[in-house]
Amino acid sequence: MKIVIQTEKLSKCYGNIKAVDELDLKVFEGETFGMLGPNGAGKTTAIRLLNCIIKPTSGTATVKGHDILREGEGVKRITGLLAESPSMYEKLSAYEFLEFVGALYGVPGDVLRQRADDLLKLFGLHERRDYLLEGYSRGMRQKVLIAAALVHDPPILFVDEPTSNLDPSAARMVKDLIEQLTKRADKTIFICSHILPIMEEMCDRIGIINRGKLVALGTVDEIIAQTGADDLEGAYIAMTGGVEEKDLLAWREQGIVGP
Amino acid sequence: MSGHKWFVIARNEYRISTSKMRAMRPYFPYLALALLAVYVAFIAPMVVGIFMDDFLAFIISVAAIPMVQIILFMFFFFFLLTSIGDTLREVRTERLEAILAAPIRPSDMLLGEFLGKMPFYAIAITVIAGSFVALLNPLGLDMIQNAMIIVIFIITSLSAVWIGTVIASILRTRLAKAVHGRDVGRALSVVIALPGIAMIYAIISGDLQDELVDPATSGTVRAVLNLLPSSWGAEIFSAFAHNPGNIGVVGLEAMTRFGGLLAFFLAALLLGTKAVNRAYSLEPITFTAPKADPDGPFYKAVRCLGGGGSSGILLASTFKDYGRRLENISWLVYTVAVIAFMGFFNIGGESGTYIWPGAPLKALSLLAIPMLSGFVVGTVSRGKEIVLLYRKSPSGMNKFMITRLTQSCLVAVPVAALVIASSTLFVPQFTTAQLIANTVWASLRTVAIVAFVLGLATLIPTFSDESRTRIFGIIINMQIVMFATMGLEVCLSELGLRFTRIFPHVDKFTGLLLDYMLVTAIWLLLGMILLTLGRRKLDRIE
Repeated sequence: MKIVIQTEKLSKCYGNIKAVDELDLKVFEGETFGMLGPNGAGKTTAIRLLNCIIKPTSGTATVKGHDILREGEGVKRITGLLAESPSMYEKLSAYEFLEFVGALYGVPGDVLRQRADDLLKLFGLHERRDYLLEGYSRGMRQKVLIAAALVHDPPILFVDEPTSNLDPSAARMVKDLIEQLTKRADKTIFICSHILPIMEEMCDRIGIINRGKLVALGTVDEIIAQTGADDLEGAYIAMTGGVEEKDLLAWREQGIVGP
Repeated sequence: MSGHKWFVIARNEYRISTSKMRAMRPYFPYLALALLAVYVAFIAPMVVGIFMDDFLAFIISVAAIPMVQIILFMFFFFFLLTSIGDTLREVRTERLEAILAAPIRPSDMLLGEFLGKMPFYAIAITVIAGSFVALLNPLGLDMIQNAMIIVIFIITSLSAVWIGTVIASILRTRLAKAVHGRDVGRALSVVIALPGIAMIYAIISGDLQDELVDPATSGTVRAVLNLLPSSWGAEIFSAFAHNPGNIGVVGLEAMTRFGGLLAFFLAALLLGTKAVNRAYSLEPITFTAPKADPDGPFYKAVRCLGGGGSSGILLASTFKDYGRRLENISWLVYTVAVIAFMGFFNIGGESGTYIWPGAPLKALSLLAIPMLSGFVVGTVSRGKEIVLLYRKSPSGMNKFMITRLTQSCLVAVPVAALVIASSTLFVPQFTTAQLIANTVWASLRTVAIVAFVLGLATLIPTFSDESRTRIFGIIINMQIVMFATMGLEVCLSELGLRFTRIFPHVDKFTGLLLDYMLVTAIWLLLGMILLTLGRRKLDRIE
């Protein structure tokens, strides 16, 4: 299989803190790769590095043959990003926002208009296409942002928590969409999420990152086997740590009286 | 426990207000007290000593009572607006929702908010009251007279803060429920300051004092001011100034007014707590969502100006986001109004006396154009996440800088052109060529200054969406440009780089245009350097 993302000792430090620590990773074409990790583990930093939004402290990576240090423009052109905490022009309508993002990527006008309309239809937002984003609910905004990440039809898509804020049917639709993008459109998807069932269901392979270091890599079965746990949740907790059952209600043992 | 909940709210308000100086929070009250004591005991008497003679002449003049009424009204207005403006700048429902979910009475909430803000207002009140006492000291007032003046001042200020808190709470609740409430709040917080600014300019220019010396005008102004509670203690001020040490001089009418001020404060407290249940509610008013209209001729023209295609779409999109924010429009209105006040009240030199065609260009270039550019760039360049959106795209930062520069120019240049053209019309004898020259030169100067300010704004970016931080950033940039403008003018004069000196046969107006062409070129060059540095800086921000 062809490698589309390859990192070589990719590191990013902020002072003494190693947000990403010598990450070595390969992602194959047409694969759905999942990155799991606790809050602050370095997932978002890794995604930002691979999208050339920030520069590594050391090491490098290639995205579809483009070096992230020397060919940033090429990398940006072939990737789409649904960021963890993205911003949008709240005073634009959904259609205007997609038009704006498409223009940023240089999508030709007639293609852009058609694609924006099609994506809004797909996400069930076409009837509200002219409403300003400031009036949208969180879930609706998330749908617009996913559409924006797809509007220039990139071969590689990075998505950070794609189903957060979505209702179950919309979440199902996004999962199906990602599946179709890999199976029928031959896209490569790089997902970061905390929702283990989603990762288990959608990802061909998973990497677990903790304190900037990649601590496990493989298929779900391989990762479970590495730890001897019963399921992915057990394996994840074994590798990243968790709270023991006896500590869960320790805070109540100080004689606090309710109202 | 419920009796102390106002204290919990007050402490929370205090913590929020002091969140940026968390490390020194335990020492802050002592530090503030010590500094205030130093101010009242030493600094205030020293500062007021500089203009003591003028003040003493004024306080026994005909204009004294209405002027003191106006000054008290100004303070009343200032405290009222500060209280409302602070709340309107950040209309959020999240905090309100959390507090409404807790078992707490609305009156505790209102009282808590009022008391939480009080330490900071107390500092301002002490500084102003301290200055008043220092001013009145040479008159030989006795302790009781001094105390009464301070009490009048404190009651006037507290009434204003309390009324402001109640109005702000009601407005916040109304606005928080609307989709664009936050925007409306910010817009209002900008324009409500305009009447106060007009009055300050009227005082600075001396126009107001001149009017008050005239008994006929003074009588009308006093009649109007007497209706306002802020004025009800002013006659006591003046009576004490005329009769130091004689407490009995205050007549029944003045004492009645003073009593009225006290009654007004108590009534405001009572009515405020009665109105409070309406002030804390999250009941939605409407579910109407704002909708975008199809692109009209204006946005189509903006697309064309942006070069059509992708860059046209980018410019039109950012313009839509700019134009649909009421806050931005209110900043524009504010800027134009302040420039108009400056012209009307003759602030900043030649603006009121346009005796030759170059005067408007000279006057507006010094203050109005830097101010306009500062406000426009400040409202255009906002949001770190938007920068990241651009940075993710190919050549995104170049597109970002070009779009911002074009957008800022498209907003600032027409306003500058309109202001200069209308100012030139006031020149007694002007030609069409001079009108056109003034307009073109002011427009070019605006483009250059906008480039410079945008460079500054990208070099020292203020990404916070918090209104106060952004305004602070805008003011800093504006001050830099204003000082640099004056500095550059002085430098060029000192170096003898004036066309009228180099070529004595050139007439004054043409000389000015040539001088300004050179200055504009320097600004443009500096702007380009700053924009390049700023672009690099934005590229590295993580």
